[in-house]
Amino acid sequence: MSLLAVTRLEWRRLLVRPLAWVLAALTLAWLAWNFTLLLGGFLAGQIQNAARADGPGFTDLVGVPLLGQLAQLAFLVVPLLSMSVIAGDRRNGTLPLLFAAGVPASRIVLGKYLAVLAWLLLWLVLTLAMPLALAHATHLDWGKLAAASLGIALMLAALAALGVACSAFASHPAIAAAAGLILGLALWSVNLGAQMAGINGGAVNWLAMSSHLQPLLRGLVSSTDLVWFVLLIVLALALATRRLGADRERG
Amino acid sequence: MILPTNPMAEPVLELDRLSRRRAGRPAVQNLSLSLSSGQVLGLLGVNGAGKSTTLSMIAGAMRPDSGHIKLNGTDFVEHPELARRLIGWLPERAPLWPELTASEHLDAHGQLRGLAGAALRQAREAIIERLELQPLAHRLAGVLSQGQRQRLGLACALLHRPALLVLDEPANALDPVQVAALRALIREQSAAGTAVILSTHLLAEVTAVCDRVAILHEGTLRHDGIVHADDHAALEKTFFEVAMHGTQRPAHAA
Repeated sequence: MSLLAVTRLEWRRLLVRPLAWVLAALTLAWLAWNFTLLLGGFLAGQIQNAARADGPGFTDLVGVPLLGQLAQLAFLVVPLLSMSVIAGDRRNGTLPLLFAAGVPASRIVLGKYLAVLAWLLLWLVLTLAMPLALAHATHLDWGKLAAASLGIALMLAALAALGVACSAFASHPAIAAAAGLILGLALWSVNLGAQMAGINGGAVNWLAMSSHLQPLLRGLVSSTDLVWFVLLIVLALALATRRLGADRERG
Repeated sequence: MILPTNPMAEPVLELDRLSRRRAGRPAVQNLSLSLSSGQVLGLLGVNGAGKSTTLSMIAGAMRPDSGHIKLNGTDFVEHPELARRLIGWLPERAPLWPELTASEHLDAHGQLRGLAGAALRQAREAIIERLELQPLAHRLAGVLSQGQRQRLGLACALLHRPALLVLDEPANALDPVQVAALRALIREQSAAGTAVILSTHLLAEVTAVCDRVAILHEGTLRHDGIVHADDHAALEKTFFEVAMHGTQRPAHAA
């Protein structure tokens, strides 16, 4: 009950915040524009591709690249969306109101996380609606699109958890947004140096988000990649809960 | 007016040797007191005496370092979920979510306190009507004046009909008409059996509505006694003695 109440409260706050609407409008307009460009490229090369036995189809040339663009935008959108969830409450002095309602720190964190995640999944669904709108007129590789969508959903969930954790540790929402952006990018490209040195395995590569998202975007679902995302989400939310618990202890 | 006190009534709230350190120094030390239903306790003390820390612990927003808080006989520190049903809290300066309207605040507080559906709607409409919040119901909290924020904060605290009402400087920023309305509301709550703790800097507030007064100094309880409505001077004398000397002087020494 209290988890649902916190989620509802945070969802309501997200919906009335102009930032969420501005982000949704701008990013969806950008993605729609890119969708038309990708579609134009697909139509232009359609005859050539059809002639090749293993030529790329609509999913490879439009669906997955569009999701890739959403993934790039997510590095900026998710920290902006999640920056206020706890840091904003701390600044408003409203965090003690949640403590005083007897809501445990874990439910406060989870409730707020679920609200942000719901917004992000809606964003993903609206983006997916673009290629899906042409499903009746073209051949979609449903398996590949589903794997790529799962990968992007997991990436959004992981970045959201990271954003909530940054918000729990930051005293100001802007600091939380900056920390979320930097940590997200660092996590994505932590293996860049290793790859440049020609090393394609090892612990550093395992740490990088890109190593776990790219197979999913290619349609390869492996439990190792899923576990990596789940571990990151659990770790980030546990840290946020611990910090909020310390806030309650400190008063 | 002094409301009758029933010393035989079961205490709604019992504090037992409550202690809490803040910023490396003891903010509250070995505080013990109890409060029965219908009683109105005025909590006095100079700035930094430990009033807000005490109220935050009672409201469940802060955990004590040691000691026990019992609500209707159950240890509240061990069962913080009790706060949801039993306590209504108006913190100092009435913190609100600036992007939500007054009505949305009441809904959020109701849901956090376990109200839903028709019960929540009825409670919301009743408190809006009682506190005359109709003109503010659809205004964003971020644009409300401090007095309006206090009234909305009070409405949120009262929404779920708590057994214990904790008010931290509720008369802040209220105009004289609103102060009179607040006093009437506290008396009404007391008459309905709600125990009330009221922290204030205004001695007149205490003599107007409280049955009892507790004076804190440097985190410890230095005075706990009955309030006589017609003896404002006696309360003032006691308060200043505690504030200046940390204790009440014997009558012959005064």
